[in-house]
Amino acid sequence: MDYRIEQQIDLSQKLEILADAAKYDVACTSSGVERNNSGKGIGNCIKPGICHSFSADGRCISLLKILFTNECIFDCRYCINRRSNDVPRASFTPQEVCDLTIGFYRRNYIEGLFLSSGILGSPDLTMDLLYQTLYKLRTEYHFQGYIHVKAIPGADPELIERTGYLADRMSINLELPTAEGLKALAPQKNRPKLLAPIQQVRRMRIQNKNELAVYRHAPRFVPAGQSTQMIIGATGESDWQIMKVAEHMYKKYEMKRVFYSAFLRVNDDSLLPVIPGGPPLLREHRLYQADWLLRFYGFGTDELLSEEKPDFNLLLDPKCDWALRHLEQFPVEVMKADYAMLLRVPGIGYRSAGRIIKARRLGTLDYANLKKMGVVLKRAIYFITCGGKQMYPVKLEENFILRNILDGGGRLRTAAEEQPVYEQLSLFDDPRFSM
Amino acid sequence: MSSCHCLMIRVFQCEDTLTGILSGVYDAWSSRLGHRNVRLQTGDNENMELFCEYEQTVPDLEKAEKVLRTIYKKLGEEAYEMIAYAAVCPHSGKADAIYRMIVIGLSLPDGREISRMLTQPDVQLVFELRRKAWHIAHRYMGFVRFRELKNGVLFSEIDAEADILALIAPHFADRLPLENWVVYDRRRKKAVVHPAQKSWMILEEAEAFADLGNSDEEAYYESLWKVFHRAIGIASRRNAGLQMSQLPRKFRQFMNEFVDL
Repeated sequence: MDYRIEQQIDLSQKLEILADAAKYDVACTSSGVERNNSGKGIGNCIKPGICHSFSADGRCISLLKILFTNECIFDCRYCINRRSNDVPRASFTPQEVCDLTIGFYRRNYIEGLFLSSGILGSPDLTMDLLYQTLYKLRTEYHFQGYIHVKAIPGADPELIERTGYLADRMSINLELPTAEGLKALAPQKNRPKLLAPIQQVRRMRIQNKNELAVYRHAPRFVPAGQSTQMIIGATGESDWQIMKVAEHMYKKYEMKRVFYSAFLRVNDDSLLPVIPGGPPLLREHRLYQADWLLRFYGFGTDELLSEEKPDFNLLLDPKCDWALRHLEQFPVEVMKADYAMLLRVPGIGYRSAGRIIKARRLGTLDYANLKKMGVVLKRAIYFITCGGKQMYPVKLEENFILRNILDGGGRLRTAAEEQPVYEQLSLFDDPRFSM
Repeated sequence: MSSCHCLMIRVFQCEDTLTGILSGVYDAWSSRLGHRNVRLQTGDNENMELFCEYEQTVPDLEKAEKVLRTIYKKLGEEAYEMIAYAAVCPHSGKADAIYRMIVIGLSLPDGREISRMLTQPDVQLVFELRRKAWHIAHRYMGFVRFRELKNGVLFSEIDAEADILALIAPHFADRLPLENWVVYDRRRKKAVVHPAQKSWMILEEAEAFADLGNSDEEAYYESLWKVFHRAIGIASRRNAGLQMSQLPRKFRQFMNEFVDL
């Protein structure tokens, strides 16, 4: 028999174990903060963030995403690192994390550090280790790159506060969209305990903003804001419920981002669902699209979904779906419509809408201009007129638009070619005869 | 003046750099032939056209700076940035588009409007090229891979489609102020050199970079990075197509996590 008891492992093995354990965390953005180097250390941050590589699943690698430890005392059913699983365990030391971060950062492999952790011993102990690591990195190595750190729910608020002054972004995962789901799958966690640090970070950020207004050089608290993450599809929530939670997080807690992570069945547990066809990636994608609509396009959850229609149409993106159900608001005249309405047109994004507003003050636009400005005409043509004209004679009718959009990539069928569907045939119905 | 002369278009051929193009703008303007009768072109022309006379523009820092100052003062910072970025993209029409943009801009009551005149084809082209240059530069900010040489210098090689060295240099200079580093553009045989705690400079015709060999630590960190890169991917979400579109092959030859895979 092959026993493995307390074997010494080297840094490479540790990295393998703890990166592997951290991979299910979706957030890997390095955006939201602009900071120049002081001239005395290493690192800076740029507002849009930078992707440094892409992993085999096509996700961006921006930060060195690792767990500090996967020796976790919790037993959450969806988690690969739960106590009852037999997986190799390891813990870094603060020094090792610093070495890795600086070594990678110098070579431009990464944009910074994403430090998460299992619960080692107690929340306080774990949070303290994270704090020590960040402190070492920021003060000893003068590292000024991006740091995203997890706040450990249940840890001393004092520790969270101190860590927040060293990090750029802090996140506390909601794990599951509803309190009931959390109770079923993560018995040691509960909703109020998760929300307490979120509330704290929000409060401190507001306080910090006031301080900064008075003292420009006051230390900044979590300058890139906080984020959270939810697992999608592990429990039976509808998209509507999920979006409601997300909207609440954005409004009430001033979150920068809510991340959605398609449920992966990593543990064979009777309480976890088996989803045929693998993780619900398309659903995850639709939720992200809707998330963008909430944050940048002025939509509300109740416009996109309702109790009667609780899930997104997997075939159509949420904006198109909304537009098709509100055809009375279209077509939109590009030369006249206000910014808010332009944003609601499928195929027009917030950047192209901004460009349209600027450019039309100085001249008339045509469809070629729109295309150059980044408008996706493939989707937009059904919903806009430009200078009072449609690009092609298309019908503003739900079935027609739906079929053409779903056809995707194929040649557009103009109204004249369009065969009437779901209609009683009659001798004079042929569209070629009617003008 | 013979009427025949009026038909002729004078083509100013300028060097394919910002200095070259702006010197061309200066020369074309001061030739007083009328904007309709001049054209700007970068690089050598393979195809001579009829009814054109060609004139070589010598890149002149002083002329270029004069034009640049005018752009900054009259057309505003936005247009200034647009032109500086667009100039690094390879495009046959860029020099002329930049010239036209400046001409139109200076004829406006408020020159700063020019950066928003996206319905104007020349401005549109400059706008597009600027966006493209920024995209390329931004990608290289992430995909540049330094390796540590024996003498502690961080060395990196790229093969960029646009001349983006000057666009990424300030970023890395700010990021690694205490390091000696070099980014070498293989295609243009140019290099940005940054001595520690000094300002960066561009070396033209940097042909021979004696390879000192890597430092002892280098292989260790490379192997760690490969371990990390492999471990962070989720097998059940595998999506090679997405990975390829986000990170095309042309970048991978310089990225150690993809070499010898």
